[in-house]
Amino acid sequence: MIIYPAIDLMSDSAVRLRQGDPGRRIAVGDDPVALARRWAAEGARWLHLVDLDGAMAGAPRHLDLVRRICGAVSIPVQVGGGLRTVADLRAIFEAGAARAILGTAAVAGDLLPEAIAQFGDGIAVALDARGDLVAIEGWQQTSAVPVLEAARSMAKAGVARFIYTDVSRDGMLAGPNLAGLASLIAEVPVPVILSGGIATPDDLRAAAAAGAEGAVVGRALYDGRIRLDEALRAVTGAS
Amino acid sequence: MRIALIDYGAGNLRSAGRALQEAGGSPVVVTDPAGLRGADAIVVPGVGAFAPAMARLAAARLVEPLRDAARSGVPLVGICLGMQLLFEDSEEGEPAPGLSLLAGRVVRLPAGVKIPHMGWNTLEVRTPDAIFDGLPEAPYVYFVHSYVVAPVDPRAVLAETVYGSRFPAVVRQGTVWGLQFHPEKSSRIGAVLLRNLLAQIAALRSPA
Repeated sequence: MIIYPAIDLMSDSAVRLRQGDPGRRIAVGDDPVALARRWAAEGARWLHLVDLDGAMAGAPRHLDLVRRICGAVSIPVQVGGGLRTVADLRAIFEAGAARAILGTAAVAGDLLPEAIAQFGDGIAVALDARGDLVAIEGWQQTSAVPVLEAARSMAKAGVARFIYTDVSRDGMLAGPNLAGLASLIAEVPVPVILSGGIATPDDLRAAAAAGAEGAVVGRALYDGRIRLDEALRAVTGAS
Repeated sequence: MRIALIDYGAGNLRSAGRALQEAGGSPVVVTDPAGLRGADAIVVPGVGAFAPAMARLAAARLVEPLRDAARSGVPLVGICLGMQLLFEDSEEGEPAPGLSLLAGRVVRLPAGVKIPHMGWNTLEVRTPDAIFDGLPEAPYVYFVHSYVVAPVDPRAVLAETVYGSRFPAVVRQGTVWGLQFHPEKSSRIGAVLLRNLLAQIAALRSPA
């Protein structure tokens, strides 16, 4: 299983939010480029970057920063936040992203077929859940769409990979929603990356045992509950 | 070591430059034949499709100068698409001759696996070589590609990877090297490989 250290970008610095609420942010460092270098140097094989300002605004806000981060590390980077158009996707790949994460746009708009046709495996869809329903608009709203139904139809449309987050767990260190993860993995024939709530190496082992392809780890890395080398040892293997 | 880093619009130019610098080289971005003069080594990075890449090299009047430099013994390293360009031609898109420094062609990964191949896979060393010094068993490196090379001479293959089929991941013939993966995105393993490669090149150019 792949560990994705998460770096969330807001106002040019790196932050962690609790439950995606911009009013409940925790600064984790002023220099996201230095953070990215740190995780890469400690052995990460991928990074997970979210443009939080972009997610709120519905358009990328930190392309230059993404470019600097991707250029600064010798590992691939997946990037999400505010990607709503093919032009946004082009821009993010041009900035050096190895994979683009679609959220709201994929669920609510008509971008998905075009994105898959043009970028194929380079696209991952963030399935942000609040309970059994899909959360949208930078997690500030909940749609009426059941998560598993959305996943089924998007997998049929050719989505190569999902990143599953239970919004109510994110940044709370309360443990991931493993039941939600397991039902999603059972539902779709494509890889699923778990995100949100991972607090201990045991959470990572449980995610790996459930069949997750990867796990995004944020706050637990920043407050030292999980050490990256420990996490990497806990879940060996790669894809 | 002055490394001519060929800029023909490939997306990985910046990160390849950074990685070469971290490996101890002094990469200089080169866009025309004059830039090749005095180079201790040449690196052709690459992301994209074969024929358009050759067309851009041709538009920059770099095709013959690159061939001449390599044939006169200037060490040349192709990365990903840059490796594929070293061969004679490709199944990808419009027919177009490659640099033809190595005999063989470029073929599509077989059906039945997800294409493009994007991800971390292990290198299997076929021919022990100093480029692999200090690497762990079955080291992971990062790939992004839909095509692979099929060299005529199997002795050119230093390492292979299995994804859908078994294909060359590292090739070498004389002072021409090709890497199918992206060392500049392969973390510490990539850094070790580039350092070893530059050390080999430095040793070639100043024999003890």
